[in-house]
Amino acid sequence: MRLEFDPYSELGIASSASLEDIKAAYRRAARRLHPDQNRNSPGAAVQMQEITAAYEFLLDEANRRTFDTTRIEQQPEYVFQFRVTSSKRAVTRLNEPQVIYMLAEVIPDIRASEIQEQRDSRLNLTLVLDRSNSMNGVRLDKVKVAAHQIIDQLKDDDVFSVVVFNDRAEVIIPAGTVKDRSSLKARVSMMGAGGGTEIYEGLASGVEQTRKFLAPRLVNHIIMLTDGHTYGDQERTINLARASASEGIVISAMGLGQEWNDKFLDELAAATGGTSTYINSAGSVVRFLNDHVRGLSNVFAERVAVSVAPESDIKLESAFRLAPNPQPLVIDQGYIPLGNLQFNRTISVLFQFEMPAELALGFRPAARLSATGDIMANKQQKYKVINDMSLEVTEQSTNEEPPTSILEALAKLTLYHMQENAQAALERGDIQEATRRLENLATRLFELGEGELAQQAQAEAQQVAFTSSLTDKGRKTLKYQTRFLLSGPNKENDSE
Amino acid sequence: MKQCPYCTHPNREGYFFCEECGRRLSGDATATLPTRTFVFATKDLPKPLPATWGTSNFDINSTIVMVIRDADQPLHLNPVQEVSFGRLDSSSSERKPDIDLTPFGALEKGVSRLHCAIHREELTLTIVDLGSSNGTHLNGQRLTPEVPRVLRDGDEIQLGKLVTHIYFKGSTSD
Repeated sequence: MRLEFDPYSELGIASSASLEDIKAAYRRAARRLHPDQNRNSPGAAVQMQEITAAYEFLLDEANRRTFDTTRIEQQPEYVFQFRVTSSKRAVTRLNEPQVIYMLAEVIPDIRASEIQEQRDSRLNLTLVLDRSNSMNGVRLDKVKVAAHQIIDQLKDDDVFSVVVFNDRAEVIIPAGTVKDRSSLKARVSMMGAGGGTEIYEGLASGVEQTRKFLAPRLVNHIIMLTDGHTYGDQERTINLARASASEGIVISAMGLGQEWNDKFLDELAAATGGTSTYINSAGSVVRFLNDHVRGLSNVFAERVAVSVAPESDIKLESAFRLAPNPQPLVIDQGYIPLGNLQFNRTISVLFQFEMPAELALGFRPAARLSATGDIMANKQQKYKVINDMSLEVTEQSTNEEPPTSILEALAKLTLYHMQENAQAALERGDIQEATRRLENLATRLFELGEGELAQQAQAEAQQVAFTSSLTDKGRKTLKYQTRFLLSGPNKENDSE
Repeated sequence: MKQCPYCTHPNREGYFFCEECGRRLSGDATATLPTRTFVFATKDLPKPLPATWGTSNFDINSTIVMVIRDADQPLHLNPVQEVSFGRLDSSSSERKPDIDLTPFGALEKGVSRLHCAIHREELTLTIVDLGSSNGTHLNGQRLTPEVPRVLRDGDEIQLGKLVTHIYFKGSTSD
C-alpha cells in the first residue's frame, strides 16, 4: 500500500506512540469526522479517509517498522509552512449563532529562493483561444501578438500547444516541446475569426492536448480566453474542469470585453484552483497573458489544496482566496484547489464559519485544516501540513481586537460582498434594494479614496434606478475591481 | 445581532464590517460617520464655540480662523483690506493668490489659480468669487462671480470640493 503522508502527524501522535495510543487517536478522530455527523462537510470526508489509511497502515507492525527506519531519509528537502490565524482566540457564549473567520496562509520555504535562480519550473501549457466571429479584428490581432510573445518567452524544453475554437475545436499547435518558434508563430498567425462560441468543445480539446504530456514534474496549465457566452454546455464544462483538476491540470479563464459569462468563468477557474480575469479592452490582452505565463515559470509547489473539517456543530460558510489573484472559492469539494504556490509569494485564504448558539464553556477544538501540495524541487513531491485549531468559549465578552491582517482583508472583502448583494437583489427583481446597495457601495468607496470606482458604482446605481438593470461593463468592472482592491495598497502600479 | 452604529442595519454576531454600508462595526454605539468628522471636532480649536456664532459683526479687533476640512491646523488670517485664495502655479504669470491652498489638496479638489477673495469692510467681511472654474459655494449656495456676499461667523465656504469653515475671533461681541 502506498502512503503519501506521515501517518503519525495524520493521527496527531508521536512516533513513539503505543498501539493503545494509536487506537485512541483513531477513535477520537473517527468520532469527530464521522460522516453521519458531517453530512455537509466534504472536508471531513476526505480527512476521514486519510486518517483511516494512516491508521490501517500503522496497525500493521511490519509497515510501521519499515516506515520508522526509512523516515529519516524521507525528510523533505524543502517544505512550505501552513499558518492559520483565527479572528478570535476566545468567543463569548451567546444565545444566537455567531460568525468566526480563519485566515489560512501557505508560505513557501524561505530557503527556496536560493534554488529559484537555477530551477525554472517546466511548463506544460495549453492555450485555448476563442476565434468566434466577435473576436474578429483588433481582438484576434492582439491575441496573436500575445501568443507570439508567449512562444518567445517559453524555454526549449517547455511543452506548448494551442487550440482554437468556435462551434468546434481545432488543434493548431499539437502538444510538443518548443523547437521551431517561427513555424509555431506562423500557425498562430493563420487563424481567422468566424462562427459561435462553444467553450466545452475548445476546453475538451485543450485538456486532451495537456494530457499528452501530463506529468507531476511539470506545471500543467490551460489558459482559456473567450469573449462570448456559451450556451447549454456549462455543466459539462464544469465537470470536465473538475476531472482535469483531479489529474493535476489547472485552468485559468480570461474574459475579454463585456459579453462573456462571469459567473461561469469564475466557477470554472475556482474548480481547478486557477484564476479568472476580466480584460476590459483588447489592448490589455498582451500584458495579461504574458504576466500570467511569467508567473507560471516561477512555481515552488503545484497542485496546492486545502481541506477544512470543522467540528460537527460548526459550519463552513465560504472561502475566498485573498492572494494571489483574489477569487471566491468553491467549498463543495473535499479539497479546495488553490493552484500553484510561487516563490516568495504567500497564498492566503479567508474562511468564514458559523458557530451555534449556547456553546459549552471552556477550551474546545474548532476545525482541522490541512494543506497539501507537490513541491517541485523535492524528490518526494507530496507534502502536507495539518493544523488543528481550537478556541476558548467564555462567559464574559472579551473585546479582543482581531488580527490586523484579517481586519484589512475583511474591510475590502466587504466591498466585494456589497457589490454581490446588489447584484443578488437585482436578480430577485428588488430594484430599490439594488439601488440602495450600490449607492452605499459608492459612498463607502468615496470614503476610502477610490474615487473612480465610486463614480462607477454611483453611475450604476442610477442606471439600475432608471432601467432596472446594470450595464454589462459596469457590472463586470465593479465585480472585478472590488476584488482587485484585495491585491493590496500598491494597486496603482498594477493598473493600466 | 450587532446593530451598525452608522446605518442601524442589524448584522450577524461576529461580523466586523456592516454588510449594508461597509463600515467598521465597533462596540462604540456613538460612532460618527467618517464624512461628518470635521477637524474642529477633534482638534484644539476655539472652545467652547464662540458666542458670536452667526453674527456678521467683524470689527477692528477681529481676526479670522479658517478651518479646512482634513487639515491639521486652522489658518489664522488678519486681512488688512483683501485676502485672495487660490492655487499657486509658478508657470502662470497671472496674479498670485495671497493664500496658496496647494498644501490642502487644492489641485485635486478643483481650486482655481485665483478662486475667491475675502474683503474687509468697515464692520463686516464679504466674500467674492473671482470667476473660478468650479465655483465658490457659501453655505451650499453657489456664488455669482464678482458679486460680494456678507460672511457670518460659522459659515461654510466651499472652493471646488475644498470645504472650509470661517470663524470670527476676538470681536467685541465675544
